[in-house]
Amino acid sequence: MQAVMTIALRDFKAYFASLKGAVTLFFLLILMGLFFQSFANSYLQYQEQALQYGGEGPKLSQLLTALFQNMHFIFLFIIPAVTMSSFAEDKKTQVNRLLQTAPVSTSHVVLGKFAAAAGILGLALLASAVFPLYLFKYGNPDPGQILSSYAGVFLLMCSQIAIGLWISSLVSHQFLAFLFTAFALFLLLILAWIAPNITSTGMVEEFVKYLAVTTHLDNFFNGLITVTDLVYFLVFISLFLFFTNVSVDAQRWR
Amino acid sequence: MIEVVGLRKSFGNVCALNDITFQVNKGQIVGFLGANGAGKTTTMDILCGCIGADAGSAKIAGFEISSQPIEAKKRMGYLPDEPPLHKEMKVEEYLAYVGRLHGLSGKDLRQRVDDIMDRLELSDMRSRLIGNLSKGYKQRVGLAQALVHDPEVLILDEPTEGLDPNQILQIRQLIRSLKGQHTILFSSHILSEVESICDELVIIDKGRIVESGSHRDLVARLESGRQYQLRVRQGAHALVERLRVYSSLSDVNLEQEAEQLITFRTKDQEQDLDRVAREVLDGGYGLQELALRSKKLEDVFFQLTR
Repeated sequence: MQAVMTIALRDFKAYFASLKGAVTLFFLLILMGLFFQSFANSYLQYQEQALQYGGEGPKLSQLLTALFQNMHFIFLFIIPAVTMSSFAEDKKTQVNRLLQTAPVSTSHVVLGKFAAAAGILGLALLASAVFPLYLFKYGNPDPGQILSSYAGVFLLMCSQIAIGLWISSLVSHQFLAFLFTAFALFLLLILAWIAPNITSTGMVEEFVKYLAVTTHLDNFFNGLITVTDLVYFLVFISLFLFFTNVSVDAQRWR
Repeated sequence: MIEVVGLRKSFGNVCALNDITFQVNKGQIVGFLGANGAGKTTTMDILCGCIGADAGSAKIAGFEISSQPIEAKKRMGYLPDEPPLHKEMKVEEYLAYVGRLHGLSGKDLRQRVDDIMDRLELSDMRSRLIGNLSKGYKQRVGLAQALVHDPEVLILDEPTEGLDPNQILQIRQLIRSLKGQHTILFSSHILSEVESICDELVIIDKGRIVESGSHRDLVARLESGRQYQLRVRQGAHALVERLRVYSSLSDVNLEQEAEQLITFRTKDQEQDLDRVAREVLDGGYGLQELALRSKKLEDVFFQLTR
């Protein structure tokens, strides 16, 4: 376990040693801010309309959901930016020999890099909390909803990191890792949406929809944490970490 | 301490290693010698667990690297030809990281890091970013990371590559000082270096071990005949024809017409040098130089790897 922490801490610090860390957080917050501003404006507009013409006003929880759904979209670019260098960079410069010859197992290495990426992005999530918290100015958003939404987004983020790590371990150029990861995450995002287009019968379509991440996030965004959804994410993360493990091991025997 | 038996490795269609077998006993320094591309780095990579072999076994301190990697790696320090340095870390930070990977912690770790930096004269550079160091210092940091956890076995891949003469001397002295406490396998294609530091040699060529043993043994065993060079004032062409008559001289060649330089090989230097000198003097060719061209080990190497 100490090995995992050692590797995780080193990678975490290394990410912030160059401009990469600051720039990643910068772009994340800028993008979130832009969208938040436009969402908040729309919210206020709808509220005004509702007052003038009657009808139901927008709910704060809807604004929150919109915000968190939007985070999913922004992560499409932020996650690859963090995971692209996990394995790819070290392979190219042969620094991976250090971990290959240290008395640590491949699982330690994979878990360590996963923890580092989750840590970096967890920090980003923490920084993004300023936006939902700002909503307290407009009324009484449900803190339970905010917390469960963050739990969902955190699990989503970990799943995306697991995919990013796997792809990074397969290629040796950071740029390729970035492209492939962004593409894979995009496919994952729209999976539920395109399910009817890529499947034939109703059963298969339901199955594909069930595999999609968005299906399982809805509950989290509505303030509900279910065992099914938790298990889904845990299995998803474990599966891709396992793939990463296999990929790193396999490369030794090529 | 290091036992390699029957290693084989192919990269696609290219056979890099074909039945490599050798061993290094405790406390020995063994030189691993071969031309570029012979298979030295591949062998060392397999020995250290970076690559997997197609067949055969590689053991460090009795632990097979493919089945008991953690135990083997605990007892080993590796300096690859490209030191695996994290350029964005400081020297002290990096060495502490490596130490921690090997299970050191707390005061023990700090002590070891300080010790190794002292030994390799890196203390002045402790807060410098590795990316900002010169090649010589980078190589020393590479050596430090192999030594920080005080391993029983050291595997060094061309440790003096790219260093200036002063630095080369320092590294060689350091390696010599490690003898006895550590078991060392180090690879090089600089024959003089291997001659001066190592107890025994293993010579590899095109993926096979061609010879192994102490260099005295190797030379005695092969008796290839040493190469001499003869420089005369004029008439080298004719002289070559005259010398070719002698059966004990071999490889008589006019090396450079302009320089009037002749090279030849002989096993029987007692007799032949006198004969050649007499030939030159009697024929009036004008003796300018008669000297040994190559050192013993080079002869062995050339003969084995041509």
